[in-house]
Amino acid sequence: MNHKKFIIIKAVTSIISGLSMTTLIILGITYLGFTNAFVFNNAGIAVTNNPVNNGQINFILEGSRKHECTLTRVYSDAYNNATGDKFELDFARKIYIRSNDYLGSDTGAVDHQWAMPVPDDMPPGVYEVKLYSEFDCVYLLFRQHKSQMFDNISLIIE
Amino acid sequence: MDNKEQKLEDKIEQQVERWDLFARIIPTAFLVVCSILIFTGILDFQQAFWAGLGLFAVTAVTWWFWTIYTIKHLVRTLHRASKNLAEVRREFRDVSKDLEDLRKKNNES
Repeated sequence: MNHKKFIIIKAVTSIISGLSMTTLIILGITYLGFTNAFVFNNAGIAVTNNPVNNGQINFILEGSRKHECTLTRVYSDAYNNATGDKFELDFARKIYIRSNDYLGSDTGAVDHQWAMPVPDDMPPGVYEVKLYSEFDCVYLLFRQHKSQMFDNISLIIE
Repeated sequence: MDNKEQKLEDKIEQQVERWDLFARIIPTAFLVVCSILIFTGILDFQQAFWAGLGLFAVTAVTWWFWTIYTIKHLVRTLHRASKNLAEVRREFRDVSKDLEDLRKKNNES
C-alpha cells in the first residue's frame, strides 16, 4: 500500500467514524428525550358540568401530545373529600362528546371531551378524581411503555 | 536515552496507534452490529442504549487512566531532556571560558 492510499483510507475511516459517532450521540439524546417526555404536555383534565345533577359527569382534556401513543389501560377513581370513600368510574360506559379519539395516537393539540355515568352508589358530595392512563408510545425506532396520572380533578355531585 | 526508556516510548507509540484504530473502528462497528440486532429483534433499543453507555463509560475511564500515565511519562521525559540540555549548556560555557583564558594567556606571552 503506498502512502497516498494509506492517507486516503485513514481520512475515509475518520469521516465514517465521525458520522457513526454523531449518529450514536443523536440517537442517544433523542432516545433520552423520548423516554423522559410526558404523553400529554401542558395538559389538564377538568369536569365541565360541576355540580353534576343529571347522572353524567362530563370531562375535558386539553393539552398537546408530541409522540404517537396508544392507550393500553385507563381507570379513574373518585375520592370523597369528607369520608375518603373511593368510587371507581366506569370507563367501559364512557361516551365521547367532542372527539372520537380521546386517547388515540394523534399528535399535536389535544382537545377531547367525554362523559361517564355517575356510579350508582355514589352519594352527593365533593370529590377529588384521579385518572391513571397507560400508553405504548412509538417514536422513530423507539418504543416505550408510559403512564401518566391526572389528579386534583374536582367533582361535585348533587 | 537508555534501552528501557526507548522500549517504553515505543510501547506508548503503539498504544496511541491502537487508540487511533479503536476510535476509527468501534463507533461504526457498534452502530452496524446494534442496527442488525435491533432490526432482527434480538435486542431492543433500550438494551442497545445501555450497552453503548456501558462501552462508552469503560472506554472513558480506561482512556483517562492511560492519559494520566502517559502524561506522567512525558513530563518525566521532558524534565530529563531539559536537565540534559542545561548540562550541555553549562559545559559549553566552561569550554568557552577555557578558550577565552587560553587566548588571553597566549596574547600576554
